Amino acid sequence: MQVVGLTTPQEVYVASKDRKFRINELLVLEDPYQGNLIGEVVESNSYNRFIPLSIGSGIHDADVIESLKHLGYSISEDEINIAKVKLLTEANFPVVTGCPVRLPTFDEVRGYLLKGKREDGFLLGEIKNTEETAATMEDELKGLCEMYSRGKIYKTRNVPFFLDLRSFQQYPHIGVFGGSGSGKSFGLRVIMEEVMKHRFPALMLDPHYEMEFSESQDNTMEKKDFKDDFRKFQIGEHIGVEFLHLSRGDLLALLSAVSPLTEAMASAIAELHLRGDTYLSFSNRLELLIEALEMGRPRVEQALRQDMEPMEKEKYKKLRQLLEEYQNIPLPSVQGIAWRLRRLHNSGLFSRDIKLVKEAMMQGKLAVVQGPIWLLQVFSTYLLSNVYRQRRDYKDGELKGEASGEYFPPFIIATDEAHNFAPKGRDAATKDIITEIAQEGRKYGVFLVLATQRPTLLDETVTAQLNTKVIFRTVRASDIATITEETDIKTEEARRLPYLPSGDAFMSSPLFGRTVAIRVRFPHTRSPHTQNPLDEIQIHRETTEDKLLESIKPHLPIYAANFARAVEEINRDTGENYQVRTLKAALDTLVEKGKLKKQTSPLGDIFL
Amino acid sequence: MLELNMDLKNKFEEAAKAMQLRLRQKPSTQVLRNMILEKGIGSFNQCERLNYQELSNIVEKGGIVGVDGSTNNTGGPYPYLLTLQQALAKVCNQEKGHVTITDAFSPLTMIASMGEEEYREFVKENLACLEVKAAIAAFEQYSPRVILLDGSLVRYKIEAAPLWEKLKNRALSQNTILVGIVEGISTGVISECLKDRLPKSGYPASDWEILFGLLQVGEMLEIAPGLFKEGFRTCFLRSSVDPKPIGIDLPEEQQVYLTEVANLVFTLTPRDGRGIPLWLDIIDKNVRISDTIMEGLLSTYMGEEYVEFLKPKRQKREM
Ligand SMILES: Nc1ncnc2c1ncn2[C@@H]1O[C@H](COP(=O)(O)OP(=O)(O)O)[C@@H](O)[C@H]1O
Ligand SMILES: [Mg+2]
Repeated sequence: MQVVGLTTPQEVYVASKDRKFRINELLVLEDPYQGNLIGEVVESNSYNRFIPLSIGSGIHDADVIESLKHLGYSISEDEINIAKVKLLTEANFPVVTGCPVRLPTFDEVRGYLLKGKREDGFLLGEIKNTEETAATMEDELKGLCEMYSRGKIYKTRNVPFFLDLRSFQQYPHIGVFGGSGSGKSFGLRVIMEEVMKHRFPALMLDPHYEMEFSESQDNTMEKKDFKDDFRKFQIGEHIGVEFLHLSRGDLLALLSAVSPLTEAMASAIAELHLRGDTYLSFSNRLELLIEALEMGRPRVEQALRQDMEPMEKEKYKKLRQLLEEYQNIPLPSVQGIAWRLRRLHNSGLFSRDIKLVKEAMMQGKLAVVQGPIWLLQVFSTYLLSNVYRQRRDYKDGELKGEASGEYFPPFIIATDEAHNFAPKGRDAATKDIITEIAQEGRKYGVFLVLATQRPTLLDETVTAQLNTKVIFRTVRASDIATITEETDIKTEEARRLPYLPSGDAFMSSPLFGRTVAIRVRFPHTRSPHTQNPLDEIQIHRETTEDKLLESIKPHLPIYAANFARAVEEINRDTGENYQVRTLKAALDTLVEKGKLKKQTSPLGDIFL
Repeated sequence: MLELNMDLKNKFEEAAKAMQLRLRQKPSTQVLRNMILEKGIGSFNQCERLNYQELSNIVEKGGIVGVDGSTNNTGGPYPYLLTLQQALAKVCNQEKGHVTITDAFSPLTMIASMGEEEYREFVKENLACLEVKAAIAAFEQYSPRVILLDGSLVRYKIEAAPLWEKLKNRALSQNTILVGIVEGISTGVISECLKDRLPKSGYPASDWEILFGLLQVGEMLEIAPGLFKEGFRTCFLRSSVDPKPIGIDLPEEQQVYLTEVANLVFTLTPRDGRGIPLWLDIIDKNVRISDTIMEGLLSTYMGEEYVEFLKPKRQKREM
């Protein structure tokens, strides 16, 4: 390998006759005057020296080359490989043309590949195309993680990629971008596994119900799960908000997340929601007011003039009082508020609190919060503000020297579909708190990991604060444009974005000062629904068939005369609901599969 | 633009006019085709690309060897110069390899002293010799079915007669077909035959001029026996979209293969190229002695001072 052609202090071409260059490879240029310089391959080409470049494009030309092949000539024989190499640090002078080039040993490039101490790093995967260099690493760094590619699991042979946890202090937030199927969820899973390995408290919003860490991947060499390191909560089921602690703003946000509020509703809430309200007191007030408004004043007065139980009397008095108090609130507004509130209530939101989440975080666990996206938005507004405030108050108190507040640890907040939580150009309940954390979280040790398939739809202020970016395959031109703008990704790399295989990504981090091409490791755990729907149906079918076969065995042979009775008994045994027709069809299927025999007789079919 | 000398301008205009007249008076392609047929100069045929089976047959019979050579000079005005020559014969089937024969000399150090013209003649002949030597070596090592030589076969007969005879005799005895591929046709066979029927301004004309644009892509004109140089058969083929045809020579004894060879050449020629079979192009690039190589060799083996000594003034001025 040697430097060829015109050189600059930033960029050179390197040629080799027998080695194909791989993009993002590091090379050592042995400049006789400037000493060894390190460069990175940004473009790689191979061509036949003797076949003019114009050849091979037209069909006929391809024919000629094919004919030559049939005469025994192989195009690769006279192939030459050329790499465009960017120097990692600019040289003082242009590099000497003709100077030898070689692959680096690990020690020569350690500083470019490994940052921070290994114990403090998140092991995200491998740095692509570093096999030869990796061979010269110390043994402790070799084969640290498992990779998965083309249906095979193997130990990495490349240099491992660590994301230094300590650097979060400086570069706190991570963006994970990539189109659908690009490896985002896998990447997010790996990041969270690393978070758990380091027992760093974390909170994850999981709109896809896929962040489950208790099942180890089937086909890995070393089984590992995180059963005890994470807790999963469903909103309404395990956790909720305490109505009593809701601020007016929280309540407005909650209700509007169900469905946007009108002006009238918003001001009605301001009037109707009282300090110290519980869900019960508030919803009671609404229901009664509705009743009163529906009856109208005259009828309430009239009812009061009649003789009735004291209890009932009390109620009508209350109705009259409400009518007086809230005479300006229109019925439809109250009704609108009431059904929104009921919907929240029905989701179970108000019957629980967030203590469990905080508890998990305090224990250094990952708290996964699941729910449909609308509810997740509502709830996380409340949840994030709450935990963030608690951490902030604690930290501020500590700074002021009043270490009074209860300890609350630093933590990571992670979510997929981040553009739903902090959308560009429109409001969302969660946007304010996420923006606040993006801007100020560093001070308090609160870090974001935001994944989205549409970086273009993510709020710019937030995007600008994501210092470290993991960029998976991206096809949409507008998203590529956003990524190019927001990262130090090079044009050559941006051009490759649409073609990255699932799991490959560019890491753009100020810590590295350049983009590093990585492949994310194979996660230790798997999401609960990775089963292919087709497999699911097949497995389901198999088991029902087997069940049926078991239950009919005692009744064999079944023939026309005892068919009805067989149906009855089988239904009783299995709890299924077969009819003569459906059972017959089911039996025929079993016959087709060879699990059962059928004979035709003058009296009809006999199943044996 | 600079003010052109009036006289120069007029002279140039005159010359250009004459040239235009010649082109304008050239008979149409149809007329020319008819003349060629009527005079019995040759017959037109459409070539066909060989299929892979036919190509495999060639490989089975020994495959294809291509031969080409290259000369480069370095240094100053005659005789203060060095000449480097190289001939390459390469088999298409690379497991077998190639033969390279080289030579280097300078008029200053040659035993027989000669004039500049004579030296140039010598260089030409020597290259032809090297090429034929390479062909013979390749023939002996690989027993190929076909040897494609870059240039007219007649040239070898003239410039390297004894070696050529040797090559031809051996090739004939083993049924190896010798083929000359001529990129720059210099013969004037057709216009010689049509002398009385061509307009005055258009005679004499090179064969390529007559055939320019006259043939379809893949069409050849097989020149009738006896019209071409003694001992050879030739045809002209438009082997690519380039309207200028190439020439294909064979020894007379092997004329039966003319069509087959033309088909092979057509098969191996990129449609959009300049009409030379890709294999010869590849060999041409392999064998070429570039100026950079020359300079490298010179400074390595002569030392900077001597290079300085050889370098012409003109080149220094440019530096
Ligand atoms: N790091 C990886 N290693 C191996 N395969 C991967 C990796 N990341 C993704 N894949 C493959 O790509 C598929 C889609 O990845 P996923 O993370 O679900 O994409 P996304 O969340 O971006 O839609 C996975 O099911 C897996 O087969
Ligand atoms: Mg996903």
